[in-house]
Formats: sequence, structure tokens, C-alpha cells
Amino acid sequence: MTQQHDPAIVTAALAGVEAALARATALAPEAQQALRRMGETLIAIEFTSPAVEVFVHIHNDGHVSLASYNEAKPAVRVRGTLESFLGLATADDPAATLINSDIEVIGNTAPLLELQSIVTKMDVDWEAPLVTALGDVAGHQLAESLRGLFSWGEQAMSRLRRQLSEFILEEGRLSPPAAELEWFYGEVQSLSLRVDRLESRARRLLARIEALSS
Amino acid sequence: MSDSDSRQQDDSDTTDFGFTEVRRDEKASLVKGVFDSVASRYDLMNDLMSGGIHRFWKRFTIELSAVRPGQTVLDIAGGTGDLAAKFSRLVGDEGQVILADINNAMLEVGRDRLIDKGAIGNVSVVQCDAQYLPFEDNSIDCITIAFGLRNVTDKSLALESMHRVLKPGGRVLVLEFSKPVNPMLEKLYDTYSFKVLPTLGKLVADDDASYRYLAESIRRHPDQDTLLGMMEDAGFADCRYHNMTGGIVAVHRGVKA
Repeated sequence: MTQQHDPAIVTAALAGVEAALARATALAPEAQQALRRMGETLIAIEFTSPAVEVFVHIHNDGHVSLASYNEAKPAVRVRGTLESFLGLATADDPAATLINSDIEVIGNTAPLLELQSIVTKMDVDWEAPLVTALGDVAGHQLAESLRGLFSWGEQAMSRLRRQLSEFILEEGRLSPPAAELEWFYGEVQSLSLRVDRLESRARRLLARIEALSS
Repeated sequence: MSDSDSRQQDDSDTTDFGFTEVRRDEKASLVKGVFDSVASRYDLMNDLMSGGIHRFWKRFTIELSAVRPGQTVLDIAGGTGDLAAKFSRLVGDEGQVILADINNAMLEVGRDRLIDKGAIGNVSVVQCDAQYLPFEDNSIDCITIAFGLRNVTDKSLALESMHRVLKPGGRVLVLEFSKPVNPMLEKLYDTYSFKVLPTLGKLVADDDASYRYLAESIRRHPDQDTLLGMMEDAGFADCRYHNMTGGIVAVHRGVKA
């Protein structure tokens, strides 16, 4: 008997994600209500590389459970690589991303898009557990400090990304500009088509020579 | 252990109790002594022994059970009731969970835990021997036995008894320690089982002998393929197993045709 992965590892990972999701939804009442509105829904996510199947079960009470094995028929089954799913999860326009990606969808896409929308719009009130643990004043102040820190971090990351991009393109000339790259790709594609045409002509010519010699 | 070995063992007057051969009628009372001793700290020891991984082994077993609301589940050797508590939620008010164990001390701990977790109303507690299950034929939808089969005197008899009480189409899940698939892991595991485990038992439960028995009983338990054969011999169809944590544990599944 062969098996591709250790079920205990996948189960442990899913249990961790499920617990994190439960904590996050507990702090996001709107997301919880939206999940409740979805009702009993089973979504199957099949990763082709690595080969792992994950079942997302949304219960009537808004609770979400994850499993690597489920025999019930899912409302929708999506199949693709891990990279494609990460792209879909972080996309601003999930419908367009879903259409343009290599993800295969079998069944009704509505619950899938609804779940994606709930997850991306989830507004988690991180202040609540801090206030519960530390009290109103200290909890609020710590939450404000953390918000400031995250905001500064986001801005710093954005600045770093922009400056790095400018350095790579302008200062270091380590990478060609996008327009130059697109022109180069176009040329490569055109060359590829011309080679294909030449190959088919050569084949036709060879076939004709063989017919004449026989 | 080969298939013929297990057959021979089941037909002789003696059976294994860890690495010791004992009279068949003695084993149940010896196993009882072990579990009477460890009952109060059984879950804590499980966490320490497995590093908490036993929760994931059990979680996957529950997934494989595919239990639905309204069904009847029998959890044999259910001990402290962690599987029964989860099944209680899955079967709902219309279903029923039977927590069964031969050991009264374990059942008492299990019953208290279930009450604490609010798993009441659809759970019954039954003290019984897995070899002679006191239930009607074709009455149970799903049977689980987690880390219990190796302590049963006649495993084949227990599997036949499970087959009898299962409804046609019902399934049995046997979660049990097994044989690591990697020789390196097996050596590491042996060192852990015979050196670390009894020491942990001594420190936590002040009982190294019981935990030495647990390690020995794991080694005497049939390996994956032998147990698969025993399940097929007991009448189960579509038998298969999943190795977990490198084969340290395996969950076997069989269906009553």
C-alpha cells in the first residue's frame, strides 16, 4: 500500500488553520454572520502539486471545519496547484483571477467566491482580546501602538519595494524595463512561429521528395 | 509478526502480555491492573508520550469514520472518552454513541470527562469485553477501537464480534500502534519506547512497569499487513490502512459487506 503524504501532518496543519480561523471569526462578527448565511456548505480543494485534498465545511452555526477526508458530495470542487490557489486567495478580483488561472472548477462557483469574499473582507477586532486580558486603558494603548507599528511596517515595505524596483531598473540596470521585456518576448514568440512554419515546410518538402523517389 | 504466527497465538493456551507469555485467562486481569494504575493520568501520559500527536491520529480516524447525524457509533476501549465526545457532536441528538471499555476505572474517568464536556443525552457507557460485545447483530453503523486492540486477549475473536454487531455497510476503524516503515525511525522509536517511556511513566504516574508493558505490547501487536489479513479473515471487505507518523501508528478500515 503506498500513500503520498502522512495524514497526521496534513491533519495537524489543518487543525492549526482551523483553530486560527475559529479565533479570527470569533473576533469578526460580520464574517461570522456571513458564514452563517452561507448555511451548510462543503467545498473541496484539490491541490495537484503537492497532491493533497482539503475539505472546507461551513456549518449552519458559522463554524468552519477543515478535513483531509470527507465522503459527502461537495457543492464545488476546485483543482489546481498551490501557487494558483495562493494567487486566487490574495486577488482583488477573484472572479477574473479564477477565469484566467489554471484552476479547474467543478460545480457551483458561487459559494467559493462568497467564501473568498468573506475571508478577504474579514475585519478582525484585535483590540477585544487585548482589552479583555489587560484592561480598557492598557489594552487600548497596546492596540493603538500595534496598529501604528503595522501601519509603519506597511509603509516601510511599500517604500522599500518602490526603491528596490527603481534601483534594479535605473541604478543597477540589473533588469530591463517592462516595455523592453515585452518587446523581447514578442520577438521570441514571432521567431518561434517562424521556426514552426519553417519546420512544417521542410516536412512537406521531405514528404514530396520521398513521394517522387518512390 | 506473520499471519501464521497470529493464528498460532490465537489457537494456543497462552498469549502475550508484553514480552511475557501468560495463560489466556490471566491476560484480561493483568491488562486491568495496568489500566487501573494509569487511568487517572492516561490522557496526560498520552500527550507526553506522543508529543500531542495522538490528537491528530484520532482526528484523522474520526474523518475516516464519515459518521453522519442520526447514526450509532460504538467506541470500544474508549477509555477516557475523547473520541466519544467528538462522535457525540457528529451524530447529534438523533444519533447515539456507546462508550465501551473492559476497565471500570477508565470508564469512570471517561464518563466524568464526557459530562464535563457536555456530551450527555446521546452517550451511553457500557463496561464490556471486546471479544463478546453485548449488542444485537447488525445494530451499529460505525465501530472504532483506538489503542485498544493490542490489549485484547484474542484479537481475531474481537474482530469477529465487531463484524457481527455492525450493520451491513457499516465500518470498523482500528487505530493502533504499528511498525515504522523506516528502519532508522524504528531504531529511534525502540530507544524511545524502552528507555524514555518507562522513565516518563515513573516520573508522571509513578509506575514504570505499566508503561514498559505498553511499549512491549506495541512490539507484540501485529504489523500493518498482518492486521489487514486478520480483518479480512474476520469477514470485513474493502480493508485498507493508512500509516501515520512514519508507520508508528496505522489506522485500518474495513467495511461489513
